[in-house]
Amino acid sequence: MSTTRRGFLRGTFAGSAVAVGLPFLDCFLNESGTALAGTGQALPSVFGNWFQYLGLNPGRWVPDQTGSNYRNKVELAMFDPWKDRINLISGGYYHLDGRPVETHRTGVQIATLGGIPSGRESGASLDSDIADVIGKQTRFQTLDVIGTGGRFGVSKRAGAAYKPVEASPAALYRRIFGADFQDPNAAEFVPSTKALAKASVLSQVADQRRAVLKAVGASDRARLDEYFTSLRQLEKQIAMQLEPPEPLPACKPPPSIGVEAEPGGEVTAVERNIDLFTSLLIHAVTCGQTRVFNVTMNTQGCRKAGSTQTWHGYTHEEPIDDELGYQPETTWFIMWANQLFANFLGKLEATPEGAGSVLDRMLVLWQTDHGYARTHTMDNVTTMTVGNAGGLFRTGRHIALAGDPVTRVGLTVQQGFGVRTSAWGSQSNRATRPITDMLS
Amino acid sequence: MWGRNGGFRGRTSLRRGAALGIALSLLTVTPASFAAGAQSRTFVVSFLAQQFTNNPGDCPGGVNPEDERGQIAVALRTMGYSSGEVRRLMVGWDQGGDGERKVNEILERRALINGEPVNPMTHPEAVPDPQLKFVNAKQSVGFDLDGKQSADDFVDLVTGKPGIDNQLFRALGCNQNFRGTWTSPSAYGEWVWVQLRDSQPAWLMTITDVPTGKPGEVIVRIQRSLDHLRSNMDGSPRWHATYRADPDPRSINEYRGYLRDGELTISRQPRFSVLWNGLSAPVLNLSQFQLRLKQDARGQWDGLIGGFQPWRELYFAFSHNGIVGDRPGLWHAMKKAADAEPDPTTGQNLAISAAYRFTAIPAFVTVPASQVRTAMRERPKS
Amino acid sequence: MNKSSRRLISIAASLLVVAVGAFFLWPDSTPRSAKVFQPPEVKAPRLTPEQYRLAITDVFGAHIDLGGRLEPVMREGGLLVVGASSVSVSPAGMEQFDAMAEAISEQVLLREENRRVFLSCTPAKPDAPDDRCASEFLTPVGERLFRRPLTEVELRSFVAAAAAATKALGDFHAGLAMSLSAMLTSPQFLFRIPVIEEDPDRSDGYRLDAYSRASRLSFFLWNTGPDAELLRAARDGELDSDRGFRRQVDRMMASPRLEEGVRAFFYDMLRFDTFETLSKDPALFPKFSRREMVDAQEQTLRTLVHLLLDQQGDYRDVFTTKKTFLTPSLAAIYQVPLAHDGPNGGVEGWEPFEFSAEDPRAGILSHASFTALHSPPGRTSPTDRGKALREVLMCQSVPAPPPDVQFTVVQNAADPIHKTVRQRLIAHSTVPSCAGCHRIMDPMGLALENFDGAGEFRLVENGQPIDTSGDLDGVEFSNSLELAQVVRDNPAIPSCLVKRMTAYAFGQDLTQDQRVFLKQMRVQFRESGFKVPDLMRAIVTSPEFFQAAPARAAVPVDTITASVGR
Repeated sequence: MSTTRRGFLRGTFAGSAVAVGLPFLDCFLNESGTALAGTGQALPSVFGNWFQYLGLNPGRWVPDQTGSNYRNKVELAMFDPWKDRINLISGGYYHLDGRPVETHRTGVQIATLGGIPSGRESGASLDSDIADVIGKQTRFQTLDVIGTGGRFGVSKRAGAAYKPVEASPAALYRRIFGADFQDPNAAEFVPSTKALAKASVLSQVADQRRAVLKAVGASDRARLDEYFTSLRQLEKQIAMQLEPPEPLPACKPPPSIGVEAEPGGEVTAVERNIDLFTSLLIHAVTCGQTRVFNVTMNTQGCRKAGSTQTWHGYTHEEPIDDELGYQPETTWFIMWANQLFANFLGKLEATPEGAGSVLDRMLVLWQTDHGYARTHTMDNVTTMTVGNAGGLFRTGRHIALAGDPVTRVGLTVQQGFGVRTSAWGSQSNRATRPITDMLS
Repeated sequence: MWGRNGGFRGRTSLRRGAALGIALSLLTVTPASFAAGAQSRTFVVSFLAQQFTNNPGDCPGGVNPEDERGQIAVALRTMGYSSGEVRRLMVGWDQGGDGERKVNEILERRALINGEPVNPMTHPEAVPDPQLKFVNAKQSVGFDLDGKQSADDFVDLVTGKPGIDNQLFRALGCNQNFRGTWTSPSAYGEWVWVQLRDSQPAWLMTITDVPTGKPGEVIVRIQRSLDHLRSNMDGSPRWHATYRADPDPRSINEYRGYLRDGELTISRQPRFSVLWNGLSAPVLNLSQFQLRLKQDARGQWDGLIGGFQPWRELYFAFSHNGIVGDRPGLWHAMKKAADAEPDPTTGQNLAISAAYRFTAIPAFVTVPASQVRTAMRERPKS
Repeated sequence: MNKSSRRLISIAASLLVVAVGAFFLWPDSTPRSAKVFQPPEVKAPRLTPEQYRLAITDVFGAHIDLGGRLEPVMREGGLLVVGASSVSVSPAGMEQFDAMAEAISEQVLLREENRRVFLSCTPAKPDAPDDRCASEFLTPVGERLFRRPLTEVELRSFVAAAAAATKALGDFHAGLAMSLSAMLTSPQFLFRIPVIEEDPDRSDGYRLDAYSRASRLSFFLWNTGPDAELLRAARDGELDSDRGFRRQVDRMMASPRLEEGVRAFFYDMLRFDTFETLSKDPALFPKFSRREMVDAQEQTLRTLVHLLLDQQGDYRDVFTTKKTFLTPSLAAIYQVPLAHDGPNGGVEGWEPFEFSAEDPRAGILSHASFTALHSPPGRTSPTDRGKALREVLMCQSVPAPPPDVQFTVVQNAADPIHKTVRQRLIAHSTVPSCAGCHRIMDPMGLALENFDGAGEFRLVENGQPIDTSGDLDGVEFSNSLELAQVVRDNPAIPSCLVKRMTAYAFGQDLTQDQRVFLKQMRVQFRESGFKVPDLMRAIVTSPEFFQAAPARAAVPVDTITASVGR
């Protein structure tokens, strides 16, 4: 990309040249300066996060064999079609270091943040760290959705607040493919005069806005910084509207989506909305709108219509069936939720892109909050990665960690995507060695 | 009957805003009051439609044609054309254009008075009887309205007792859009109910104990409301809504009945009459009126009302509705099946035995006290 | 477990609760320094969704459609307005604020009928910049939006922005609309940035400047930014004098807008925002749809406003009052008669209603807004309701459950399904590791078990009669009416209201350093007969309300630009 883009935006309006200085724009080249797709380079890697609460049943998922030739047990059998793309990690541990377990929260924190924050504030979740490296060239740094209704997910930036999530597929559709969407394959690119005007407005007010940072106390400065980070993202989106996007052959923006279900925990609603979200995220990725997405499945409130009990309630109140050896209703939900993830993978694999499918350049990380939800265990938690992100990872293995902190997986995934860190996490959850079997 | 025991004293009194300026006394129902007795319990009718109990094979000659083509073919036969001629004519009708026009011209003369064609729907007598098929079944739900056992009677589907009078079932039960079961009473009746329940006045039922009467003796009053039936967002009827009673005496009916073990019965009352709607019947008139309802644990009533219904009033409702089948045919069917109230001159029975499915759920009713007295005084003699 | 040991556990549990949550309730020997009020460091909270909406409707009118979704705020210290000091604007939120700003600006300036109201000047040429006319529009609007006059630098930048956009778009009004749009996404609008100055009444003391005082007063009493009259009073120095300040307080408290502020406070304290993500199974609760959820909130808010504002009543009576307001849909849920007066299919209005003495309903604990909100989608949960009573209304925090909880101990294989929830919760009250915390939650929730998951009354559950007896901190009750009375008489109730209302007014949680102020307010509240308007007045007229911490040095304020026409 040329220096003219970095220095000034040139456009014409009514025949006269208009130049607008854009000193506030971050460079949207990546660290190594490689150009985007369309110039012969590989399609960019994509990171996806699928967080599913309430874990699995012990004894029904850990394969007896480790390494490449393992056989899935019943609760993971639905993932057999993608076995060679999957790394299954067992034996992971969420270390507490003497802190009390906040059920359905501490595990989330360790899995996504690398440790248990001591107060309200904490660092960013691992998907944010990855997005900081690979998400800067896209219109959306991340796309965050929730399949089970609600307003907050598991992803956060540094600070106190969790990022709000999209619970409504229709709203996500409007956000991505609404008025501001630019089809990368459009025959003719017409730079938006509105975007030009907007960019000039933003440059005029930038300095005076920045002065606000001086007017606030230290404790507020971090929050105002976050505001400016978000503002920069917006400015980048506007700048992108002034440049023709690189063509992406696999991009087929949907003219509409189907009718969504009322967001919530009722199982048919979750199925419907996850199905719609899957399609939207696939379109968003193939159209170059994002390279990082988060899917939160807060399954605690999942429920069959007409039932008085939720999945979470069943995990504690349902007795273990003497003959089966597990809780029948709870296990129904486990299999149901896993099947949703399998459907998700199936749709990724069925979307052609380049020489294969869109799954080829992805890595999806599957995490959960407890090993065994019934007793809120923090040991032997299930973690999975699906896909090799275009060759950045090696796959197809069952890796038994034997009590290692599960943050080794998070560290490995981050390093694979180019996050410059040699360690991740805090105290006993601090991972200093990646899982080399997983890295190319 | 009403005022003797101090009128209706609800358990809860309602304070109204100044805007109304009317003092209202209320009838209320709660599960507790039901057990306490000596109180009134009020309900709103949550379903009302003809109740038919068909079985496969109860129309051995086949179900009457409900599509236009079938009806036209039958009409042509009835007008005297041979089967071969009818076949040729229908082929022409299928092709449209001239062929269709030819059949239509013939049908214009389907109903004749003094040789002149008239509208067959409004002059069904002038249409030759297409001989719609009757139901051939042994069992039905309903009531023994005349106290006699005759060849036409059914055996009660539930109790096995003979003598059940339900000629309306016999006449209409082989028309597809009337066929039904206990869970799905009558396709046409249900359709009308769903179409109109939110836009027609609701019906109310009040049951009052008679503490000085025989054991289980109650007064049952069925009347209309000024309000339409209230429904939940999913279309199910809303329990415990409040309705204003309609003081119009034309629709107020009051009987002595018996309530035992959760079953309410009213036996052989001369008359029942409530203003209804243009698709069901303008008025639901039933002579030799009977009622039998059972109450479930939650408090919902479910059962039947029945009596002899003037069949021509039914025809007026069916006649402007094409989905019922061959309308002049229905006239002739009901005419032949009618079994009560012979016309003194012609001897033609003017009423037909019928049974209607009736369900009711708990509701609150507001009755201005003054209106109660007025309604009682002005009720027309039966 | 026999009665006496239950009582012992109950008393022990109450002491636990008192120890955990009663930091502000019980006096103890404090070092002298903490007996003096230490002003808090003032934060810059972001506008909550409701404050954003009110700011727009106040400045531009209620007919303006926001056209977007407002980023939610997390709750902290029991309040959204406190959590607003911990949130910023996420990238997704920024997109939404930007979209809304665009929609609002277009409605204000590009629609003829609106433009006439807000723009009194016409540009020299319709397609070229006109700084004078832009300035005439941006100055007063900017003052309302930023809640203080624009600085010269700020005004110049917005005028220049309008000019640049006008050049790019070839239309003055469109360009001006873009500048307004930028104002609406500016941090000075989205965040309430406080300005601190030296306090003339205290040596080495600092306080909020006049505009920041106007802001804090207005957000507390009316939940929105200062109106034109309050800004004028700030500008003219009237807020610096006791009399001038009280005149504004009187004006604002006599205004019908006070109701909006009181509603906003209770909406926050009672956590009504969680209704947005509440769902009830329609098969199990057909009467309770989204419309009834809205009505349920409105019922409680009307009841509170009527009792506390219109009648200047005792706050504690909100738990025992039989008087409320109902629509016919709610009346069906409460199983009381309420006829709809108007034509069929017409709008169903609100009617005052009073439950009879024998009716089990009294006070807000029996409202659907409490019973239905604190229930899972398919059933009731006495634990949820008891916990809500503790945390929402008594400001007492309940410890998190232990991680190793399991119910196999009490699962009777022969009869695995317990008929009533009281039976299902037996483990809570008998297993020692559970009893400690559940004893302080479950009894009150169990008293409310007559109200099912949608607030409807029932006598039996699964065919078994419901036992509603229990105790609260050692005081016994046998049904929901008695629970209401016991709750009313619990000292934590008024104490909690003072804590919440004070935190709400300050916009942040108060700490050790401000304890003495809370204590004063509690005394004030009690002496006034627990009247809420008196408490609000006491807070805003207290000398401490506008004091700020000295740690943040006074920030030099830019030259305030002269307003057009003055």
